Amino acid sequence: MSITVSTIASAVARVHEAMGPLEQVLNDADAKLGDGDTGGMLARVIGKMAEVDLSAAAEPGVALTQLARAATVATGSSLGTLLATGLLAAGREAKGRQTIAAGELSGLVATARDAMIARGGASLGDKTVLDSLDAIAGALQGAETSQDAAKTAATAAAEALDAFRGKPNRIGRARMFGDQTIGHDDPGMLAIKALSAAIAA
Amino acid sequence: MKKLMNKPSGFVDEMLEGLVAANPSLALGGETGRVVHRAAATREGKVGVVSGGGSGHLPLFTGYVGEGLLDACSIGNVFEGPTVGSCMEAIRIADGGKGVLRLYGNYGGDRMNFDMAGEMLEDDGIRTTTVLGNDDVASASPQERHKRRGVAGIIYAYKTAGALAETGADLDAVTAIARKTVDRTRTIGVALSPCQVPGSDKPSFTLGENEIEMGMGIHGEPGIWRDQLRQADAIADEMIERLLADMPEGAGKTASILVNSLGATPLEELFILYRRARAKLEAAGITIVRPLVGHYATSMEMAGASLSLCFVDDEIEALLAAPARCPFWTVTA
Repeated sequence: MSITVSTIASAVARVHEAMGPLEQVLNDADAKLGDGDTGGMLARVIGKMAEVDLSAAAEPGVALTQLARAATVATGSSLGTLLATGLLAAGREAKGRQTIAAGELSGLVATARDAMIARGGASLGDKTVLDSLDAIAGALQGAETSQDAAKTAATAAAEALDAFRGKPNRIGRARMFGDQTIGHDDPGMLAIKALSAAIAA
Repeated sequence: MKKLMNKPSGFVDEMLEGLVAANPSLALGGETGRVVHRAAATREGKVGVVSGGGSGHLPLFTGYVGEGLLDACSIGNVFEGPTVGSCMEAIRIADGGKGVLRLYGNYGGDRMNFDMAGEMLEDDGIRTTTVLGNDDVASASPQERHKRRGVAGIIYAYKTAGALAETGADLDAVTAIARKTVDRTRTIGVALSPCQVPGSDKPSFTLGENEIEMGMGIHGEPGIWRDQLRQADAIADEMIERLLADMPEGAGKTASILVNSLGATPLEELFILYRRARAKLEAAGITIVRPLVGHYATSMEMAGASLSLCFVDDEIEALLAAPARCPFWTVTA
């Protein structure tokens, strides 16, 4: 089964629903390393995305671009802008296709990851959402159905979170805390884990 | 910390509402409601000059919208970058068909958002250029000047770029004068007491009762040293020495000086600093033109001051003297 505009719309709805209970969890995780606003910020961004009427989008690429634009209005935070950057890059790559095969998802996630690296200047290994996306892009290679892909992505995001917990944050405000960040979950990585689990559920 | 406000969530929007209500030359625009622009329509054929940044620094950034200065400015929450959406709106509003200069402080988030806004507007055919304010000498070494943050000194570039744009100059020329002005401007700050973001339960940093921090940034970024308060002359001397040790390439013997309050420090103390800074500069053979003393770039109720020097040449000096009018800075011919 391949990905259509309606697959994307239903993923946004699931993510939006999951965000309710997640908001405070992410704020608490962020308060240990930053200013404690990751949950509130993501709730605003995803709320704006959920307001977008995707039914008029002609193809998945257009839907991704519309979601990116919604995110750009909701926040000025780095994480929000990076998410918009990733969506925009994936949307551009998917342009002109009515559906996206599950096997193409790995490439789209990799495109989003690379655009976010270029925009934000972080590197793989810095303990950010980029490491989650990198793990997801790797795991999605050879995915055959969208259900498979969702489960695979959720597992990869959970494993990435576990793998990086014992490492220090190397960029952003969290970096100033140095080795004190060891043992803490990066709030962005935690968000990717929880939201990808919501899509797979 | 006591603040005159209603809900913290309304702090920025209510401030903007009051700002434009008190100043008919300004208008609030955009779907985001986070763009301040000139109330008069954008003039066709004029290069646009936009800025943007977080709230909490008035008159910076929003306050410099006006004739001979900025065309539009996007505003973020307190100490947060403006959204990509509001950056796009500011650029669109300022576009008179000849392109738009994005002139803002060197902060990672602001850069990301303005870059993305420019890319998203490429399809609309609006040409944009970028110049980043990076005058804070305490924020990185001279070898890493590209990493320095932008603080009060950016207003000199607002003034020269804004003045040149009014003459009908093209985008490349307006960009070049902004860059030259930034390249010739240096700032250093000293903090005496902290500020607090509305809604936060603690100040953005703490200083001991009698402590000061030399070189602290406008969001409480760490400075050069922290020690006991000393007399104003000693502080002014050190600040001027640090600025002169970092003289820009091509700097002559003429400079404008800006003695700026970080918020809570009163004019009285600024003039005490100015008196000594001026004497110190004159002793170093530097002639001062167009001195500025007052609240030009603040951090809400933070106490402290910053000193900026803009080493002018004939072109910059003439543009600083050109007429300009915004609610917080008026230059008459």
